[in-house]
Amino acid sequence: MEPATCLRFEGIKRRFGRLRVLTGVSGTVGPGEVLLVHGANGSGKSTLVRILAGLLAQERGTVEYRLDGRALAIDERRRAVGYVAPDLALYEELTAVENLEFFCRLRGVDAGRAPELLDRLGLPHDRLAGALSSGMRQRLRWGWALLDRPRLLLLDEPFQNLDQPGVEQGTAILDEHLAAGGFAVVANPGPLEVPRVASRIDLGG
Amino acid sequence: MSRRASTWAAEAAAVFVKDWRCEYRTRYALNTLGLFAFTTLVVVSVVLGPIGNSLQMATAVLPVILWLIVLFAVTAGLPRIFVAEEETHTATALRLAATPSALFCGKAAYGFTIVTLLEALITPLFLAMLQLSIARPGLLVTALAAGGFGMAVGSTLIAAMVAQARTRSALFAVLLLPVLVPALLFAVQLTRAAIAGEPPGVELRMLLLYDGTLSVAGLMLFPSIWTP
Repeated sequence: MEPATCLRFEGIKRRFGRLRVLTGVSGTVGPGEVLLVHGANGSGKSTLVRILAGLLAQERGTVEYRLDGRALAIDERRRAVGYVAPDLALYEELTAVENLEFFCRLRGVDAGRAPELLDRLGLPHDRLAGALSSGMRQRLRWGWALLDRPRLLLLDEPFQNLDQPGVEQGTAILDEHLAAGGFAVVANPGPLEVPRVASRIDLGG
Repeated sequence: MSRRASTWAAEAAAVFVKDWRCEYRTRYALNTLGLFAFTTLVVVSVVLGPIGNSLQMATAVLPVILWLIVLFAVTAGLPRIFVAEEETHTATALRLAATPSALFCGKAAYGFTIVTLLEALITPLFLAMLQLSIARPGLLVTALAAGGFGMAVGSTLIAAMVAQARTRSALFAVLLLPVLVPALLFAVQLTRAAIAGEPPGVELRMLLLYDGTLSVAGLMLFPSIWTP
């Protein structure tokens, strides 16, 4: 029987010019679980995460995100995922709180969520995003991903540039997310200590 | 207004406010457009002198010059509407958060206010430096508003199309100019009528029709341009 909420992808293929990056990747992840994607640089981890988010089209294969029994269309999927990745940047001319408030308005979330998340992540509200350190920017990406409490988190190198307390905080947030019935796809080049890993995909390299 | 419509309007308004907030802090578009337009205006007025005194010259030459200044200033400054989002990688967050049509509407509104500000800055200077008097000022304002709207919407759509290309600057001009030719022709004719004190004729209706068509086409095409 088909689970009411899950992310399932089958036979994902993608190439850039003559370079074949993904050659038929499949996987499933459901509530309370993490799907861990390994692989060396250039193995296609980020490409897979971008395809799952609906930011890049696959050449072959299917992606289905079922939420409470309903399969989401790609534009709904795009707006229903939390995404942390190196290619995600926020506006350098805006402060941390202005950035999150702006995206709260786009996603229909109460703007009060922005300062709440910044406090949780230990980020200054009124500093321009362009003046944040690389670790602080990574924390801000986490804040962006958690804005509307999405069920599915797509995390590409989620602990990049974070110090040890930042890594511990990110792991704790992920653990809370999973305990609340959320699920996640986590892509990382090296070994990673994350909770509740249900399945792994090794893209080699 | 339904909840869906109010959410859509709130999204468009948020994009508009965000763009102006960023512009206020960098002043990139205003400086680029303003400096380009002002420099061209000074050169034109020094070379041509007070040719507005002659009605024949005023109606034949000056409307074309005014609109060419606006056109080239727009070409220099408005591609940033989307190019900056791609270059700074903020486009990813926008793609994941914004309704495409609301994003287009917010960006086009921002572009329109930029063009309107530019026109408000250079038109009085243009009239003063070339000693040009306008027989029907209301018609001139209408021509500037309707022509500026068409330019802003056209520029927004083309900027979204070229933002992901490598040769975006050249591509922007190549694609934009043919799209804006009708708006330019109608706007020049209307400006000419405003100077000569003639009624607007069919050009005003054609320009408004062009603006409406371009807006609908933009709203329909933008989602497929913006998303993969």
